[in-house]
Amino acid sequence: MIAGVPTEFTPPGPGSFETPPIIHGVEWFTKPVLVAALSVVVIIWFFWGASRKAAVVPSKLQFAGELGYNFVRNSIARDAIGSKDYMKYVPYLTGLFFFILLNNVAATIPLIQFPTFSHIGWAYVAAIMSWVIYNAVGIKKKGLFGYFKHQTMPAGVPAWLMPLMIPIEFISNIIVRPVSLSLRLFANMFAGHILLLVFVLGGEYMVFESGSIALGGVGILTFLMGIAIAGLELFVQCIQAYIFVVLTAQYIGSAIADEH
Amino acid sequence: MSEHKDPKPTPDTSGDGWRVLSYLIGGVLVYGGIGFGLDRLFGTQFLVVIGIVLGAGLTILLLNFRYGSKS
Repeated sequence: MIAGVPTEFTPPGPGSFETPPIIHGVEWFTKPVLVAALSVVVIIWFFWGASRKAAVVPSKLQFAGELGYNFVRNSIARDAIGSKDYMKYVPYLTGLFFFILLNNVAATIPLIQFPTFSHIGWAYVAAIMSWVIYNAVGIKKKGLFGYFKHQTMPAGVPAWLMPLMIPIEFISNIIVRPVSLSLRLFANMFAGHILLLVFVLGGEYMVFESGSIALGGVGILTFLMGIAIAGLELFVQCIQAYIFVVLTAQYIGSAIADEH
Repeated sequence: MSEHKDPKPTPDTSGDGWRVLSYLIGGVLVYGGIGFGLDRLFGTQFLVVIGIVLGAGLTILLLNFRYGSKS
């Protein structure tokens, strides 16, 4: 880059998500793997520390741990699954919620700044896991035939409309659910990260490399806008973790629900 | 934190919007897909449109049966 000569701006794209191996030669060990592993360590440390010295008068850490656990247990699991069967699914839902939450918020934490679920494979696996669980508990409770009858015959529909409704119910309950679950999480993380890249890289280019004073002023505005977007993204990251777990809980709840 | 009392007797509905969305996608996908297949079979071009509209209409009808009569 020669001073005074404007260089070409290369906008961020899907290529910005290509993560090279951290250690040369170990192909699978990339940034998302590192972030996910770190998040697991943090979650284990947090809940272990919160429950290790459980006391009637809780320490600060225990209070925070119980707050998080109670939130998933009462506001997500019990409301969606019902107060009779929900306890069995609380460990999975709690683990899922904090895993997704930490991996999303990693996009905002300085120096890490990468959302694991912006690589779609991670979102697929999370959705497949929830898909297998809600189908398995439904089949276990009602039997294979009974479960499919439950998932394909909508209640309250007149009999003559039933043949037209069964394919809609089947496709939306068995096929669209896991796809939308994974795509919603992936697309939100991908779009949020690329939006931040556009604002930050664009601002950096305009301030430091364009060589124009007017563009430099706009670039500072772009930076400020980028900070606002980062705040919005923090909100989106939390909401997406919440939605994923609420929907998983509701799918489990509707799979084991008695006829309505 | 009382164990026994359930503060919310009515089921939680915060995810209903997302579930409705997956119904709408499902309905359009099924009947639009059938229309697309019939178009390929007969060499026509209008059946996919009819399928999409029919699928969306049927899904709205289904949603009405499913969520409409609760209150």
